[in-house]
Amino acid sequence: MSTYAPRHTPSAFSTPASTTLFRRLTWEGTVPLEVRVDAKELPANSDRGLECYYMQAPRVSYLPLLVPEIKRFLMDVVFDEAAARVIKEEDWWFESEEGSLLKWHWSIGLIYDNHTITASLRNNSSSSQITPLRLVLHLASPPTDKLLLSPSTDACKQAFMGQLKEADFMRWGSTKRMTGLRKAEQDGLWEGIKEHNFDEYWRVAAKVTPTTTPTRSTSPPPPPSSASMHTRPPSADPGSTAAPDRDGAYSVRSVPVRIYLPDGPVLQDLVPPVLEDGTVHTLAKFLATHLPLLFPPGKPPLAYALVQGVHAPPDAEMAWLGACMPSADGWVNVCVGILRDARVGRF
Amino acid sequence: MSDGLGEGGDGRRRPRCSRSSGVAVLSGPGKRASPKAAGANTPHDGQARVLPSAWTSLDTAGSMQEAQDALETYRKKDPNKVVVRFKAVGNAPIMKQNFYKITASNRFQAVIQFLRKELGWKAGDPLFTYINLAFSPAPDDTVTNLFKSFATDGHLIVNYSTTAAWG
Repeated sequence: MSTYAPRHTPSAFSTPASTTLFRRLTWEGTVPLEVRVDAKELPANSDRGLECYYMQAPRVSYLPLLVPEIKRFLMDVVFDEAAARVIKEEDWWFESEEGSLLKWHWSIGLIYDNHTITASLRNNSSSSQITPLRLVLHLASPPTDKLLLSPSTDACKQAFMGQLKEADFMRWGSTKRMTGLRKAEQDGLWEGIKEHNFDEYWRVAAKVTPTTTPTRSTSPPPPPSSASMHTRPPSADPGSTAAPDRDGAYSVRSVPVRIYLPDGPVLQDLVPPVLEDGTVHTLAKFLATHLPLLFPPGKPPLAYALVQGVHAPPDAEMAWLGACMPSADGWVNVCVGILRDARVGRF
Repeated sequence: MSDGLGEGGDGRRRPRCSRSSGVAVLSGPGKRASPKAAGANTPHDGQARVLPSAWTSLDTAGSMQEAQDALETYRKKDPNKVVVRFKAVGNAPIMKQNFYKITASNRFQAVIQFLRKELGWKAGDPLFTYINLAFSPAPDDTVTNLFKSFATDGHLIVNYSTTAAWG
């Protein structure tokens, strides 16, 4: 998947190697989960010593998609035949160990990062340790009033497609790129998530996700650390003979971004890739604009930002994040945590 | 890298559930390349390192309190109202009044319930809602977020229909 666009072809359909690299790293990121069935709900005659299941779950996946694997484990190891007959996985739902209902339409990586930040703030503990997220699995009586949507895989797919369309609209002011996909392609996006298949997902997603473009030269593009790639969108280059990249990451109306604060709220607003003064919109400027109390301009910040579990550097560009590190639903999820002391944890 | 959705049968099926047991393999956030930014050219070596000074804080206790206060400020619900314009699609009935002021901090779910009440429809009646004839938001998206992102001419257009149109 590493091709560089010749100048005469639309670069929206060719992806620089660096973009592909970060998309693959995002795709392959996993987080540790500990899934435990609520003790009160374990069927009689269950093997109680073994009701905990540990797994590494993909950040880009969703809780309802983990149910088949968890169910296989419980059927093999914990439930006896009588119990197995009455299992209704459409009634399964998850809670955190603190008792808060987990939003199944949030990606697993988002749930993990948000929970880690929130818990470390509540417990006043260091967040630099990577510990499993403890989930309590309930087998019956989902609180449908609070869940707002039933947690079936179909509903999960519908919600996922809805988020992709909303992201499409954020970028372009219309959803025609998403609706322009054939039905089989749209389904292919969800199948790629279900099967956790990078190629299957990105074969379609590359058609609707903007990319960063290589610089206009015949040599391979410089590594992303080069200043020239980041301070001048290619269309600003007076020597360029290529058309401005109308479909590129720096041409969108707004990058789809959400901010998650510990214990809420979730913030969403327009995020232009380039600001009115012509400068590129960086994470530092974005956070100073929307959370000035936590990121006061010109002073040391009180907080930090995680994107896909990584401490994102302040000069990361919003357009670049939108092209290289979105979740599978198209959104860049920025989880904000509070800095604890001058010694900060692992990068 | 492991992806957690493998076929199983690899011995993972009988873990001991013990609070003191560590998790064996973690490929979590710590071990990946960082996005390189303009001017940053230190190679990533996969080990613990100190964040660039832009992210480190100095006065611990004071800044923690200031940060907590900031979070409290951001948690306050916006009492302002924004204008929502309901537009019928297809055979859906047109309401006498289409413009409403809705509290900004409401979730979209509350807007759906409000609309259902205004139309006089019961909980089981099919009702599909869209923003700008384009997409259906998640029920827990807030009106303020949707307004800031998608409003046109000072109002947020919410289309409603008895059938799934752009689902």
